[in-house]
Amino acid sequence: MSYETLSDAVVKGDINTAKEATQRAVAAGDNIQDILDQGLIAAMDVVGGQFSKGLMFVPQMLRSAKTMQECVELLKPHFKEGEVTTKGKVVLGTVKGDLHDIGKNLVRMMLEGAGFSVIDLQVDVAPEAFVAKVNEEKAEIMGMSALLSTTMPAMSQTIKALVDSGIRDRVKVMIGGAPVTANYAEEIGADAYAPDAGSAVIEAKKMLGID
Amino acid sequence: MALLSSDNIKRIDLAGRVILTRVGLKISDENALMRLKSAGADVDFANKRVRFHGEWLDEMLRKAPNQFNLYSRDGKNDLRLGTGQVYFGNGGRVFRVLDMATQGFRRTLLRDVADTAGLTNVLNNVSFYIIACQAHDVDLPSYHLNDFFYAFNNTTKHVMGGCDTLDGLKQMWDLACFIAGGKDKFRERPFVSIITNPISPLTLDSTSLQIIEFCVLNGIPLACAPAPIAGATGPATLAGTLAQMHAEALAAVAISQAFSPGACVMYGAVPSAMDLRTMDLAMGSVETAMMNACAVSLAKIYGLPIYASAGVTDAKVPDIQSGFEKGVSCLLVAMAGADYIHLAAGMLDSGNSISYEQFVIDNEILGMVYRILDGVDVDANTLAVELVERVGPGGNYVTEEHTIQHMYRQFFYPALSVRKNFDVWEKDERPTPLTRANDFVHKWRQEHQPVLDPEQVLLIKERFAGIVNL
Repeated sequence: MSYETLSDAVVKGDINTAKEATQRAVAAGDNIQDILDQGLIAAMDVVGGQFSKGLMFVPQMLRSAKTMQECVELLKPHFKEGEVTTKGKVVLGTVKGDLHDIGKNLVRMMLEGAGFSVIDLQVDVAPEAFVAKVNEEKAEIMGMSALLSTTMPAMSQTIKALVDSGIRDRVKVMIGGAPVTANYAEEIGADAYAPDAGSAVIEAKKMLGID
Repeated sequence: MALLSSDNIKRIDLAGRVILTRVGLKISDENALMRLKSAGADVDFANKRVRFHGEWLDEMLRKAPNQFNLYSRDGKNDLRLGTGQVYFGNGGRVFRVLDMATQGFRRTLLRDVADTAGLTNVLNNVSFYIIACQAHDVDLPSYHLNDFFYAFNNTTKHVMGGCDTLDGLKQMWDLACFIAGGKDKFRERPFVSIITNPISPLTLDSTSLQIIEFCVLNGIPLACAPAPIAGATGPATLAGTLAQMHAEALAAVAISQAFSPGACVMYGAVPSAMDLRTMDLAMGSVETAMMNACAVSLAKIYGLPIYASAGVTDAKVPDIQSGFEKGVSCLLVAMAGADYIHLAAGMLDSGNSISYEQFVIDNEILGMVYRILDGVDVDANTLAVELVERVGPGGNYVTEEHTIQHMYRQFFYPALSVRKNFDVWEKDERPTPLTRANDFVHKWRQEHQPVLDPEQVLLIKERFAGIVNL
C-alpha cells in the first residue's frame, strides 16, 4: 500500500486531503502503524528536511504538523493497547508563575509533528502537577518553559519535586525559554536544553536514543 | 518630510539658471564652441565661455527624452528610466581593494574588473554594473578594450563606465557593436553607457566634450555628472552647491541635445562635501546624502531621469560606520525617487576602495531599501479583520493560511543579518554580516563562470587582438 497521496497532503499542509486519505486507508483495513509510519511520520521527515534547507518556513512546517495531528486523531479510535507506538510521551508546560506560552506551543507542534505524543499542561503549571502527570502518563520526557528570570527558579523546584517523589530517574527533563541557557540547565540538573523548537525535537530524540 | 519645499526647489532652479546666464561654462574646445554657436548658444570665443539663456536652454532641455531604457544583454535587467522605478548600481573606478584574507589592501587589477562584474551579476538588488576599478596591470593602448571586455564577459547586466580618451571610447564602441551584431543592433538596445564629468566649478574639458559628442552621435546613452564638493569646489552651503551643480548638470544636458537632439542623457548629480576641519573628503556625510536627494527634485522639474549617488562611505573597512552611512544615504536618495543611483554597492574609503564583501553587504542594505519603497499595502485582505475575529483573543496566527499566503511578500528576508537565538549564534561561532558576506564571496568564487559563450569569446579575441588573457 502506497501512502503517496497522504504524504504529499501532509507535506503541503492540506488538512482535508490528508484526512480523506487517512479515512480511506483505515476503511481499507490498512495496518494503523503503517499509516502512521509510512504516511504521516515519513511526510514529516520530508518536511523536516525541507525546513532545514530553508525551503520551508515555520508556518508551513507547523501546518504540516497540524495536518498530521488531525490525521492521528482519526487513527486513535483504532489504536489497540500496546499495538501502536509513538516516538515517546512528553509532558509539557510553562512553569509556575509563567504565562508565556508561544514558545512552548511551538515546541508542542514540532514534537507532535516529529511523532511524539505530547500531553500539554498549558501554563502556570505547579511542580506537583508536573510530577503527577509524568507519573500518571509514564512520560519519557518532561519539558518546561520559562520566559522570566523570576520564574526560572520554578524549573529547579520542579526538578526537585521529581527527585522528592522518587521518579527523577524515570524521566528526562528538557528546558527552554528566552533567558534559559545550557549552563543553567546543567546547574539545575536538567538533562537537556533546547534554544528553539527545532532543537527541542533534536534533543528529545537524542535523549531517547532515536535516529 | 520633504527636504525642500516646492518654493525652495524653484529658488535653487532659478539660482542655477542665473549662474548659467551670468557665468556660463568654460569650454576651451574650438570644435565644441563652433557646434554650440551654430546650434544657437551664446558663445564668447575670446573668453572660451558659453552662456545658456533661458529660452534657448529650455528649448534644448525639451529635446531630452523624459524616458528611455538602458538595456541588459539578456533582457532580464533592463532599466526603464523615467518610469518612477529606482535602480541601484555600484560605482567606478577605484584603485584599491580590501583583501579579507589578509585584512590588507592592494592595487586593483583587470581580474578585479572581471570579478566585480561577475559578483554584481548575481546580486539581485544591484541592477547595473559600473566598471568598478582600475586595471593597474593593463597598458594604455588597449586599456578600454580590456576593461569593457571583461565587464561584458562577466555580467549580462547593463554596463557603464568612464573612458579616458576618445580613442578608448572608440575601442569600447567597436567591441560593443561587434557583440551586439552591428551598429544598428547596438543602437536598438544599447547595453553599455558612458559616464563623463564636468569639472566643478563650471568647466567642461575637451576630452569630455569629444566623448559626449561621440556618444550622442552614435546612440550611446550618457551621464554627464558634475561632482561639486561643498566647501571646496562648490559653496559651503548646501543650497549654493546645489545651485551650481544644477547649472552644470543642465548645461551638460543642453550641450548633448545641441549636438544631437533626442540623445539619451541623464541629469547627472554627484554632489558631496568636505570635512572642513581637515579637508578630508566626506562622501559618506549626511549632507552628501541630503544634496543627492534634493538633486532629484531639481532634475524632476525638467522631467529628466537622474543619475544620482548614494551608498558611499568614508569608512575604510566594512564596519559600523559603513553600515550607517550607507543605510542613511541609500534610503534617503531612493525615497526621493532617483532613477539611477550609482556608487551604491561595494565602495569604501570615500570612493577610493572596494571590498567584495561590501558588495554583498550593500546588496542586503538595498534589499531593505526596496522593501521600504514597496510600502504598506492596505486592502480588505491585508487588514485581515475577519481573521483577527476568527483567531480571537489569546490565539496565534502562525499556522493560518493567511500567514502562509502573505509571508513571502510582506517581509524582506535578509541573508546576512543575524537573527539567531543567542546560544545558536555562539554555537555557530558568532557569525556577523561580514563573516557571512565573506562566506558568500568564497562560495561565489568557486562557482562563477563567464557569461559570454566561449566560442563568441574566441571570435572576439580573434577580431580584437589587444584583449589580454586573464
